[in-house]
Amino acid sequence: MATVAVEVVYRGVFQKSLAKEICRGIVFAARKEGRIGTAFGRYGDSPERNGIPAKQYAVVADGEEELEASLSQYEPAEVDVTIALDDTLCKGVESWAWYGLQPVNKLVKENGTLIVTSVQSPEDLVRSIHRNGVPYNLAILRGQPSFSGLWVYRDDHTDVRVLGALSKSCPQLFSLASVEETVKEQWRSDLKVASARRAYERLMTRLVEPGEGNPEEAYSYHLLPWQEMREGVVVPAVPKGNGFRGGDKGFEPARNPHFKKFATRSMRPVVNFDTCAKCSLCWLHCPDGCFDITPEGLYDANINACCGCGICEEVCPVKGAITMVNEALFTENGSQYELWKAQGKEGYQTWVGEKVTAQKGFGQWSHGYHHKGQYETELALASKEAQ
Amino acid sequence: MTTLPALGGIQVERDELISGSEAIARACVLADVDVITAYPIRPYDTVMQYVARLIANGELDCEFIVADSEHSQFEMVKHASAVGARVFVGSSGVGWFYAFEAITVTAGLRLPVVAMVGNRALDDPGAFGVEHNDALAVRDLGWLLTWVDTAQEALDTALIAWRVAEDPRVFLPCAISADGAFLTHSQQIVKVPGKKLVQQFIPPYNRGNLVLHPDNPITIAPQVNEDWLMEIRKQTDEAMRRAKGVLAEAYQEFGDIFGRRRDPFIEEYETDDAELVLVGMGTLAMPVKVAVRKLREQGQKVGFIRVKWFRPFPTQELQQSLSRFKAVGVVDRDFSMGSPSYGGVLFNEIRSALYPLPQRPAVVGFIAGLGGREIRVPDVSNMIDMTRKTVEEGRTDQQTHWIGVRE
Amino acid sequence: MTTLQSLSQIRGVKNVPWDEYYTSGHRTCQGCESALALRLMAKAAGPRTIVLGSTGCMYVANTTYYTTPWVVPWMHTQLGSAGSAATGTAAGLKALMRKEKIKEEPINVIAVCGDGGGADMGLSAISAALTQTEYNLLIFLYDNESYANTDIQVSGTSPWGANTTFSPPGRVHRIMNRRWKKNVAGMLATGHPECRYVATTCTSYPLDLQNKVRKALTTGGPTFIHTLDPCPKGWDYDPRYSHELGELAVETGMWVLYEVQDSKLTLNGPSKALANGTKQRKPVEEYLMRQGRFAHFTPEDTSYVQRKIDDMWTKWWVPGVIPFQNEVVT
Repeated sequence: MATVAVEVVYRGVFQKSLAKEICRGIVFAARKEGRIGTAFGRYGDSPERNGIPAKQYAVVADGEEELEASLSQYEPAEVDVTIALDDTLCKGVESWAWYGLQPVNKLVKENGTLIVTSVQSPEDLVRSIHRNGVPYNLAILRGQPSFSGLWVYRDDHTDVRVLGALSKSCPQLFSLASVEETVKEQWRSDLKVASARRAYERLMTRLVEPGEGNPEEAYSYHLLPWQEMREGVVVPAVPKGNGFRGGDKGFEPARNPHFKKFATRSMRPVVNFDTCAKCSLCWLHCPDGCFDITPEGLYDANINACCGCGICEEVCPVKGAITMVNEALFTENGSQYELWKAQGKEGYQTWVGEKVTAQKGFGQWSHGYHHKGQYETELALASKEAQ
Repeated sequence: MTTLPALGGIQVERDELISGSEAIARACVLADVDVITAYPIRPYDTVMQYVARLIANGELDCEFIVADSEHSQFEMVKHASAVGARVFVGSSGVGWFYAFEAITVTAGLRLPVVAMVGNRALDDPGAFGVEHNDALAVRDLGWLLTWVDTAQEALDTALIAWRVAEDPRVFLPCAISADGAFLTHSQQIVKVPGKKLVQQFIPPYNRGNLVLHPDNPITIAPQVNEDWLMEIRKQTDEAMRRAKGVLAEAYQEFGDIFGRRRDPFIEEYETDDAELVLVGMGTLAMPVKVAVRKLREQGQKVGFIRVKWFRPFPTQELQQSLSRFKAVGVVDRDFSMGSPSYGGVLFNEIRSALYPLPQRPAVVGFIAGLGGREIRVPDVSNMIDMTRKTVEEGRTDQQTHWIGVRE
Repeated sequence: MTTLQSLSQIRGVKNVPWDEYYTSGHRTCQGCESALALRLMAKAAGPRTIVLGSTGCMYVANTTYYTTPWVVPWMHTQLGSAGSAATGTAAGLKALMRKEKIKEEPINVIAVCGDGGGADMGLSAISAALTQTEYNLLIFLYDNESYANTDIQVSGTSPWGANTTFSPPGRVHRIMNRRWKKNVAGMLATGHPECRYVATTCTSYPLDLQNKVRKALTTGGPTFIHTLDPCPKGWDYDPRYSHELGELAVETGMWVLYEVQDSKLTLNGPSKALANGTKQRKPVEEYLMRQGRFAHFTPEDTSYVQRKIDDMWTKWWVPGVIPFQNEVVT
């Protein structure tokens, strides 16, 4: 095998501990088969930001020299497996350091594998993943992406399930037996051993041909030579905003043209303009200033500026006027206000209804800690349901 | 307390008996500096004492802020410079080091802050006397760095400093080093030029589209990842390279306007037929020159070269000059513990500058005059002897000698 | 002293200015209240403003070369330099205007710092700035209660017992941060009698925050505002609850809203109601148990915090402001 490189793509902070557990697990499981390995996070993603995509790597090799050869470049040029711990990352990976938008499968080598934790269908996922020049396997580990915060870990077995899935889609890395042994040693839990095995057994894989996927070019930018950069570490400010869509009424702020929120969200607000009370609280409390003010005083969430925190839904005094909906249910970033204008009340209400209903299918979401004891209660309930 | 003679309205040159520090304070008046910040530490603080009196007496119109620390002191002028104000600041020894974070970002931001360093030994132990290690610490950061020898040169160099630092081709900060006590506290006759002539020499500071003002909305120094920083460093490197030419231009015009013509980068003394020279910086020039004269009376072909600008380093000038001699003794009023040959900073820089030459003189290093200890004429004679002997005997075992240290 | 801008108090959310001067395209965490604090601050200050940003989350997370979210001129300053950056900028402008080198006009100068930059490293420089009565400037301290940019390390304003990467609860030591949060605004207000405006605020009260920024800028001289900003990353809570956490901090009495203008102290909003008894303080548990950083707390730990907060409200001379006991020994 020489070397095997695995990339873990995840939501910063929310899945930091999870990604670390997985990378550690990979190195320990490979040791069971006499190989050595290393695990590291991409330095440019550190310090991580809540929800902003980040990367960690595990590289495993037969010997020291092979390992060194693969590490001579900090971020591997290609990987055998990429693991996306949140399926909305299929839209791309946009670090908070300015690297542009990287397709989630960018590093996956020919006939390599992209493993995604998701409840979506393979077809839906393929639609949002950028096209790759080479064929690769898409493996789906069924389940809700696991999110928790910096201090309290949500131990829903996603860590060991990913290891079980890896042993199936990348048998040259390690066997299921090695994973089981490692899980027993490292986590001391028979339940977790069983979870790893079940993930191995139930992993679904589908081949993705080079022509399949999102045909869009991912956002990138031109790196200027030093002669063309302004001296004194100076960059021009963002211009002032003006009326809504350039008109006289309403307001649309100018925005940083180079740093859009292509992939920092796993949820987005759906605004029901027919029930909106125009109170302005969503706009006022948005840390990202993502709302455009329409001529009639409505607030149109500009998805290019929304990082999906959900504060707007929380501060909205009208129940259902703003609903946070899973990003997987959207294929484009257009204006909801313009949709509302174009479709009329009935058409728009149907659209909103579809989104809100579909969101319910994703179950209760928690992007981190809600209250003490929450994870324990939820996990106990989930395990009861599973039985 | 004596009252200083009025200066502001004077348009003609006049002779005055002033110290190096006072000469630089006068330069602040002549250059119409806008913001000056102070914090006390010996010996540089003498300049701020003069500045304060000039302001109190209405000679100097500027914002004068006594800061809570050197760090704040240097940060303040950095920010004042960013909005387009001409600034002056200074420090000594560990005070300069306390400001070091501000000092390094000032160069990174390409802000033409002019600072006086009253050279002082670094703590511990606390000591007031001269050593060059304080100012030398900025040598890698993008500061223009010069050593002056006399009060006249201090005044003249300060005027040149603002002109060159604020030149848009350069936009780099400049440190003027003056040996503590020997220059900061000694009075000499200085020709103080008229303000009109100075205005002719130093144009107003115009930061153009880099100025921080609501009429020019910009963001300065956003966080940068590895994709950009090397290009930003390269810009500073190019500015430092351009500074060499801008300095030469300034010295030429300085001579035209004020009549005092000097070589910008090095001063040669009695080198025409010399076989052996000493090289050094700052006020050690005086005892060395005296010794050179004495030795020449005895028939020895010796001379002296004073390095004036340390950054940008006068590489070509020193290559051309020093390749003429058999041997070079470099006198460092600094130390660089554990460096090549355990030599001083200037010694190793000169050796490095000479390395590409096909014919290189022998180079011997001396550590002398640390902590304010005087370098006296016999010390100089001793160093010249040792340099000669080293060459004659072809000794290579020891290249650095501590002079005057008790054993 | 140069003249001041005229910025009227904002009456009601409907009158909040639409213009953005710190706009989208920063790269903070989801639900970052410090970003909201800056957005509100910039809105309140308006276009003729210079902002200096000291190192911290709101530097690193905000600007990424070759891009920026700032509409008004903005410049980085060092971690401990908010006070000196504001002073230097104001001094530069003042000198240039007096000497007719630039046009005379009132320009707001605001230096922003985090709790690490303001309450720890930069305290001396801020203190010095607040004595410079000749200059109009505002020091705006956004407090997310840790060194949040560097991976959440304990700062001088981190709450007692909070989990941070430098104060992790362990098997032997459950409580690693045994220091009580610094009373920064109170210290600065009482320590700088010539400073005409010092206030605390919180992003969950956007009008309070914006009006305090305007009061500071129109009062003139050196001024100081300390805002508490819930931090979903460091405090470990779902970002959607950022607003609610700020409200809980105030309603439990852990954070007190007040202003000191020309030596006159006023408690504001819910804090006023808690002080005059028209509203009861919520138990601190309601606040603490919503955050992962306190997940290791035992009931005794929670009681300890409650006792300290009770003391602050019952025994301090002025709750949240002056920690001397009510009785004066004469």
